[in-house]
Amino acid sequence: MASEYIVEIILENKPAARDPVGETIKRDLLAKKGYDMVSNVRSGQYLRLYLEAESEENAQDIVEDLLNKLRIFNPVTQNFKILSLTKE
Amino acid sequence: MSIKIAVIQFPGANCDLDAVHVLNNVINVEANLIWHNHFKESQYDGVILPGGFTFGDYLRAGIIAAHSPALDEARVMLKDGRPIIGICNGFQILAEAEILPGALLKNENLKFICKWIKIKVENNKTAFTNKMNKGDVLNIPVAHGEGRFYTDNLKELAENEQIAFRYSNENGEITSESNPNGSIENIAGVCNLEQNCLGLMPHPERASEAILSPYGTTHGKLFFESMVDFIKRRS
Amino acid sequence: MPKVEVEGDKIDVHLTEPEITQIKDLLEREPSITEWGMFDVMLSEHCSYKSSRPRLKLFEDAEKNYDYVLAGPGQDAGVIDIGDGYCLAFRIESHNHPSAIEPYHGAATGIGGIIRDILCMGVRPIALLDPLRFGPLKNNPHSQWLFKYVVKGIADYGNCTGIPTIGGEVEFDKSFESNCLVNVACIGLGTIEDFKHAPSKAYNPGDYVILMGGSTGRDGIHGVTFASRTLTEMSEADRPAVQIGDPFTKKMIIEATIEAVKSGYVRGLKDLGGGGLSCALSELTGDGGTGAKIDMTKIFTREPNMNSFEIMLSESQERMAFIVKPEGLEKVLEIFKKFETAHAVIGRTDDSRVLKVYKDDKLVVNLPATALSDAPTIPREEKRPDYLDELLAQKTPEPPLEIKDILYKLIASENICSKEWVYRQYDHEVGVRSIVKCGDGDSGVLRIIGTNKFISASVGVNSKHCYLDPYEGAKGGLVEICGNVIANGAKPMAMVNCCNFGNPEKPVSFWYFSQAVKGMADFCKELRIPVVGGNVSFYNEDEVTNTAIKGTPIIMIVGLIEGKENIITLPFKKSGNDILIIGDTKAELGGSEYHSVIFDLEGGVPPKVDEQKVKTTWNFLHELYKNNLVRANHDINKGGLIITIAEMCFKNKLGANLDFSEYYDKQLRKDEFLFSESVGRFIIETAPQNYDRIIGLAKKFNITAKKIGVLIPNPEIIINGLESETVKLDVVLMKKLYDSTIPNLMEI
Repeated sequence: MASEYIVEIILENKPAARDPVGETIKRDLLAKKGYDMVSNVRSGQYLRLYLEAESEENAQDIVEDLLNKLRIFNPVTQNFKILSLTKE
Repeated sequence: MSIKIAVIQFPGANCDLDAVHVLNNVINVEANLIWHNHFKESQYDGVILPGGFTFGDYLRAGIIAAHSPALDEARVMLKDGRPIIGICNGFQILAEAEILPGALLKNENLKFICKWIKIKVENNKTAFTNKMNKGDVLNIPVAHGEGRFYTDNLKELAENEQIAFRYSNENGEITSESNPNGSIENIAGVCNLEQNCLGLMPHPERASEAILSPYGTTHGKLFFESMVDFIKRRS
Repeated sequence: MPKVEVEGDKIDVHLTEPEITQIKDLLEREPSITEWGMFDVMLSEHCSYKSSRPRLKLFEDAEKNYDYVLAGPGQDAGVIDIGDGYCLAFRIESHNHPSAIEPYHGAATGIGGIIRDILCMGVRPIALLDPLRFGPLKNNPHSQWLFKYVVKGIADYGNCTGIPTIGGEVEFDKSFESNCLVNVACIGLGTIEDFKHAPSKAYNPGDYVILMGGSTGRDGIHGVTFASRTLTEMSEADRPAVQIGDPFTKKMIIEATIEAVKSGYVRGLKDLGGGGLSCALSELTGDGGTGAKIDMTKIFTREPNMNSFEIMLSESQERMAFIVKPEGLEKVLEIFKKFETAHAVIGRTDDSRVLKVYKDDKLVVNLPATALSDAPTIPREEKRPDYLDELLAQKTPEPPLEIKDILYKLIASENICSKEWVYRQYDHEVGVRSIVKCGDGDSGVLRIIGTNKFISASVGVNSKHCYLDPYEGAKGGLVEICGNVIANGAKPMAMVNCCNFGNPEKPVSFWYFSQAVKGMADFCKELRIPVVGGNVSFYNEDEVTNTAIKGTPIIMIVGLIEGKENIITLPFKKSGNDILIIGDTKAELGGSEYHSVIFDLEGGVPPKVDEQKVKTTWNFLHELYKNNLVRANHDINKGGLIITIAEMCFKNKLGANLDFSEYYDKQLRKDEFLFSESVGRFIIETAPQNYDRIIGLAKKFNITAKKIGVLIPNPEIIINGLESETVKLDVVLMKKLYDSTIPNLMEI
């Protein structure tokens, strides 16, 4: 029986890749404006998908499938992480 | 009187030397390139925030530069009535610094666009447009990826005469074909309430010499000549 | 591939057994693992040019034979003196393989690399050009994807660093489907003083060595396994195969470098490319006759626990090495601090002629500075392909369509249509130097503020012509690219090339390379054009299908125009003016767009080059320019002479009433005449009152110059004089077809 699921995804640069956006925010904004307790900043893109699926596992499979097949994240430079998966 | 203009160099500015060249060699007014951290408002009669990709446009275009101490100096200058113009990235910086209203978003077609367009003068009373006539159509180029102007306060801007330029065709008609980036109501440039701060996406420093213009016009000069005139009349 | 083991660490080396023995003999000991890594990189084809050097020797010694050449091949960029105290540096490079994997970052980091090479000559980068090759776009999502992201990568990086992309070229052909070509070229402008301050040699002992720019990570480390590596270290999957570029850091590096050079305290400058720091240092000291002592612990890294191998051989982007005079150390460090570019003093040069690198107290590299710069060459076999004779013998079939319809098809074809979709994404005006902008001329023209001089630059070559005859094709490429700058009023000053070919170990592929180099060398010698630099990219082939690309020797020409009044642009200007054709049209349709678009044919006889004729044509044109007789100029290439005329009509919506009776050689079929791609021809617009004078000059130079029509105000092209019915073409329709092909294919 199908239900509505909400899946939150983050796309970010691979851990060993440079992240010029994150580095610049940390170095030129935070550190200069008194927030030097922030040691690292990584940036990414956030997506939130609303979908119909049979179960939580099914929803996860669908999302992973479409992210990979449609190259929504760039597999050469990025990873994706499912942040949360909730049933409506 | 000897007028001194500051062209502020933020990390990543690209059009700074272009602005200095036009002021020094075409308008014949002294212009200094000054590193943003070294800028002191008391030494200058006017300021240009030039175009480029300050801080790589990372996070949002202009947001990191907006936090520079140079903007605090700029606020003092503006309060004192002196003129400041923000060109392209300079406009984005002034908007993020909340000195000018609205926001500049990604172009509608999501691509960078570099081409000569036309803008219609809507307000000729600002410090940078007093040598223009209302309704004049100017030839000027754009080169940006995040030039789509947006505001929630359209009514207020119109009432306060803060809309300075609109993208138009050669007859001054405001059409969608003449809008290169999807800006709301074809707005290409706005000014502050006091009319001494102007921000616009097109590049007047690229339109100040006939040799650079496909039309042989020099409409860009009008911006800087207006500024010089404004400064002279104030003193 | 031999595996070498040193104290438990294993490394794959692309060296032959004799090379390995040679190394051991030179050092009189076993190299350390880091030293093995350095030899492996420096003796690789990519760095040592071991297959190509024997052929590249065919080029004249530019520095010796031309007094205005200040730096020739072998340096980071070619440099020429252009008078008024100014010099120009330029270079072209390839980034083919990374771009095929990851087009956006591959192309972007390619731009990053070429900018650094120009910076090394102490001058400011002021223009970029990008010749590209892809598979045909129609019905090919893969090619569309590569094209879209390569252009975006170049645009984003170039725009962010504030360097205008003023020209380029795209060709589409099946042979590039799996192996796209992304070549990037950069031009730098500076004073002779600036150039003199930045030789890339560390010729003085006692100078400081400073590493500046991006941080060092494990990028580019392959083929090595460390015994001591624990499982907690990041794996290959955590690292992008293609690096992510950072144009903001690059922009800061540009400003910091230029200011440092102007201080006068920089004695040597090198960017870190293949082989990273180790190879940059050995080149700096080897070429300078000095040695250096380096302390590895001073190097700022981006990842934890990097060992000496990884630090010395890292290929992390955006890094430069500076050799700085001791008395200027403070000043230079101050400049780096101002622009907030990360930097570290990592050592000093000395007179030992040995490169010594220490990690704490351990000596990990101890090599004679010249050990890496004298790589042996490998003789390669060449063989003319067996398929060529049959290909060259292919005859042009009878035209299946009316001339009119053929032309409408050609003007819309991928290799001819407008590339405005591409150049609108490039900021081609930043720097306020761009005078002749994309679309208005065959080349990009930039002014030099403060002088009455203008630079003209163009890149390209015809890959299809080169496929049929690499010798004539390379020459033809030179005729075309020189023709592009000449059409804008310039005199060609110097050339650099980027050779993109297949696997040099295969005799057929190497034959193509060898013939192309011969063609370029012969032509340049005859026409007195110095070759000031070059790049070779081999192994552009699809290993699965065993097909190589059509060998592509990309040519870049930089020219000079003296005086604003001497700049000429492409579009027709005034109704009533004469249209003249310069040069002879032969039945040379091999590799033409007519053949591929209409018949899907690759063969035929390609254009041949007559150097003497070319020389006199160019002299004739310059004589016309001197007398101010030319109003517009466009050199004839893809698609033939009607396509050229149509392109000139577009901007000002003019038309042309043509009559070929005096020019048409009846020995040719009509279609052969109209679609021939014979090189060295131009279409010019002139004022009618100057006609006699021009014809008189043509006679004097013994050049074919014939009036073939007049400009008319109606946007139509009327073709008479071909012993057939009058052909009428709708220019407005042609422009629509020309403008809409790429947008239709790309804006899905």
